[in-house]
Amino acid sequence: MLSLDEISVRYGKHLALDRVRLSVREGETVVILGANGAGKSSLLKAVAGLVRADPGGAVTFRGTSVSGLPAHRVLEAGMALVPEGRGIFADLTVEENLLLGAYARRARHGEGKMRELVLDLFPKLAERRRQIVGTMSGGEQQMVAIGRALMSAPDLLMLDEPSLGLAPVVVGELFEALARVRRTGVAILLVEQNVKASLALADRGYLMEVGRIVGEGSAAELRGDPAVQRAFLGLAS
Amino acid sequence: MTLTTALIAGLVLGGTYALVAMGLTLQYGIARIMNLAYGDTIITAAFAAFILQGGLAVNPLLGLALVVPGGFLLSYLIYRLILSHLVARASDRGALEVDSILTTFGLLFVIQGVLLVLFGGNYTSYSFLNVAVDIMGAKVAANRLLALALALSIGLTLYLLLTRTRWGTALRAVAVAPQSAALVGIDVNRAAAFAFALGGGLAAAGGVVISMYQTFTATAGVVFTMKALIVVIMGGVGNLLGALCAGLLLGVVETLVSTYVDPGLTLAATYAIFLVVLLWRPQGLFGRVAR
Repeated sequence: MLSLDEISVRYGKHLALDRVRLSVREGETVVILGANGAGKSSLLKAVAGLVRADPGGAVTFRGTSVSGLPAHRVLEAGMALVPEGRGIFADLTVEENLLLGAYARRARHGEGKMRELVLDLFPKLAERRRQIVGTMSGGEQQMVAIGRALMSAPDLLMLDEPSLGLAPVVVGELFEALARVRRTGVAILLVEQNVKASLALADRGYLMEVGRIVGEGSAAELRGDPAVQRAFLGLAS
Repeated sequence: MTLTTALIAGLVLGGTYALVAMGLTLQYGIARIMNLAYGDTIITAAFAAFILQGGLAVNPLLGLALVVPGGFLLSYLIYRLILSHLVARASDRGALEVDSILTTFGLLFVIQGVLLVLFGGNYTSYSFLNVAVDIMGAKVAANRLLALALALSIGLTLYLLLTRTRWGTALRAVAVAPQSAALVGIDVNRAAAFAFALGGGLAAAGGVVISMYQTFTATAGVVFTMKALIVVIMGGVGNLLGALCAGLLLGVVETLVSTYVDPGLTLAATYAIFLVVLLWRPQGLFGRVAR
């Protein structure tokens, strides 16, 4: 469904992504694990069209090239990003955020159905329709962000550290919600620091270090991998 | 002049200020262009209404239907041909602000120069609906009442469009968070060009409305830019209701000062209110505190 081939991203002289190869299959949930500064966010931003990748690499989505497309056209192609820090419209209401979520042409046709699905996944959003999003709790704002992204009827949902800054109980709710999203058949590409929860959710995972993919495997393999356990799960040998 | 007459005159003036300030707040808040040639768009539209009325006998109400799309189109072209290049190369918002101020400052003199060549530097006006109407014992010219009604109805329509439609909500989203707007599929550059053009259309509407009841000169643009800017800042940048209230307030105060104190103190009064508001509420009367 999505494949990245030799994708590199530079910020000035700093090489943030170094010839990354990665793929996501239809309906699959894939997690990218790595320490701060490993290049996970840059990877999602490069796919979403928020940063420009070096020429020479290629991003292909369902057989067509999406390399170098601006963000609004990547969304039209069927990939939605929930960025780090959520990127919601804090001054607008829940309702307005969802309305804008369905701004894309691809979203208009099935908007009513999608709204039902989103409100079903996140019942709280239905109760809080008229609330200004900036006044909601961190967990609720994350629900708005995910709900808004789903309103565009994406085939692939990308999430950048959705659990960042949330209380442990709320993180649990978040991953439950993501499991429900997964069951709807949407493919998910997730960047997370919460290794345990994200490996429990994912089918497959990649390990990143200083801009490179240094390992990959099924979620079960990664859970048992001593390198992953040492580096990320805090189980020092 | 009685108090009622002065108040109505003030509301008429204030309504006009509010109308033109709404256009400027769209251009600055959404397209992020600080347009110093804004007032010259207003004056150009006033002259266009003058020609239509005087030369071609087109009534200014019909004139609106021609001049407003003209203002929209002209502003759209200015954005696409000149300003979009500044946007593309600006490294951040501050750089764009400096570039756009310098560029539109130049544009101001270009437009003003053309108007001076075409119309000279004299005060210009035409007579339209110049009959007195009795309102609560006060005699008010019908053209002023029409000007107020037009300003308020255009402003209200714009407000409803921006708050009640997906399209308007998208424009507001670009104003508050351009990067997030792109992530929901909004073409931010297109939205900016459109908002700038819409602002130009409002300036043109303001110009026609002003020409119905006021005299104007080719060099008066800068005064309108300043007034609009003051109203925008007082009302809170990007806030349409704020612009409406601040505009009405400014118009009423100016008229009361010139009626009861001294016409020469009008500008001084304008800046006095502006200073008080800025010291008391730097974010504007209706603006939110920056987070």
